[in-house]
Amino acid sequence: MGLLSILRRLKHSPDQEVRLLLLGLDNAGKTTLLKQLASEDVSHITPTQGFNIKSMQSQGFKLNVWDIGGQRKIRPYWRNYFENTDVLIYVIDSSDRKRFEETGQELAELMEEEKLSMVPLLIFANKQDLMTAAPASELAEGLNLHTIRDRVWQIQACSAITAEGVQV
Amino acid sequence: MGCWFSKKPKRKLPEKEPTTKVEENTTTSNANNIALSSNATEDPPKQYSWDKREKVDPKDFMLTGLKDATVGRLPGKLNGQQFVIQDCDSCKIFVLDHSATITIDDCTNCCIVMGPVKGSVFFRDCKDIKCVVACQQFRTRDCQKMEVFLCCATQPIIEASTGMKFGCFQYYYPELAFHFKDAGLSIFNNNWSNVHDFTPVSGETNWSLLPEDTVVLDHVPAPDPESEFKSVRVSAEASRSIVPMTKGGRRKESDESCLFVFFAGDYTTANARKLIDEVRRR
Repeated sequence: MGLLSILRRLKHSPDQEVRLLLLGLDNAGKTTLLKQLASEDVSHITPTQGFNIKSMQSQGFKLNVWDIGGQRKIRPYWRNYFENTDVLIYVIDSSDRKRFEETGQELAELMEEEKLSMVPLLIFANKQDLMTAAPASELAEGLNLHTIRDRVWQIQACSAITAEGVQV
Repeated sequence: MGCWFSKKPKRKLPEKEPTTKVEENTTTSNANNIALSSNATEDPPKQYSWDKREKVDPKDFMLTGLKDATVGRLPGKLNGQQFVIQDCDSCKIFVLDHSATITIDDCTNCCIVMGPVKGSVFFRDCKDIKCVVACQQFRTRDCQKMEVFLCCATQPIIEASTGMKFGCFQYYYPELAFHFKDAGLSIFNNNWSNVHDFTPVSGETNWSLLPEDTVVLDHVPAPDPESEFKSVRVSAEASRSIVPMTKGGRRKESDESCLFVFFAGDYTTANARKLIDEVRRR
């Protein structure tokens, strides 16, 4: 399940770095996820103004993780980071129902990107710890994930702040 | 090709709504003949804490579509949960408890007091808001004319917002100190005055600082004595504020400064507070 199973399918050799790109709307929890993957403190995270990048070793994989700021104004810069991505991780705030349409729209546009074609997609349905969080199944339906035919994809419910569902 | 995503048949649980489990499913091969196998059908579905918890009505954590009302939550009524405020007009909203995160959408002409928020406070499409907020992250998008008395653990950010004014958090109610602790927020780490603007406009400033002598209760009035909040002894005097007043980015009165170091211990916070109060009295 989750990130580990997608990594295992990549057929990378053990010393090859796997490049993960973390995208999603602002306030989705991307940086919290990044810090959690790196087993660092998640209690003092500031809104990302540019991007964060971390290299880490986990479960026999060398990971190079890029976490890009998601404010509407800076989404045009996402394309600068597409090249050589091995896995696209799209993070959704499952409790922010007001912005489901917006996040669906951004994801749909990413699926059309040439430089991301065939790149495996892992969607983290984040913030499951919150009361109004939509379950992953509801998100999958709303996002029409079943229409994605051109790549490996998976949706994983998680709570980055508690690390549930996040483990590599 | 892709992983198919299927719902398991709904299981009826006694006295609860049927829950739907979602699983990654079987093998499919694509044009390149890469079979994706999953062992989801062999392993039992993984149970997370959110699968096991009691189901609650999301409406208990939302204020929607209210007008000219005094509403909110009394201390102990929210207990660290998420809160959502949307489509409110001319309301006075008092969320006097600690929470996980608060989003405020499409509100106009409201006064809002928010007890300590462990995560983010996010205002979207709001106008003419005056608020008192304590949070880990402060965010706005597409907002106009707001006055925010803020305690924020990280740099506040605004996007596509204009007429934003910021002042230092000043508030007290009896349980507030405990709520700060419950939310994991330090009263001494307040970055209220250094705001980052994602959409600066040359020649204009979308945000500014409120005058230092601004009286909070003139902007965010105390609850109506006839309201459900009449039992809460609220104060916005600087001397009573749980969060010490800081000048932030305002010009210093002198270039002299003094550093006090408090070592971690049981009485650190109390001692630091005591020092601040005594120095202020001089």
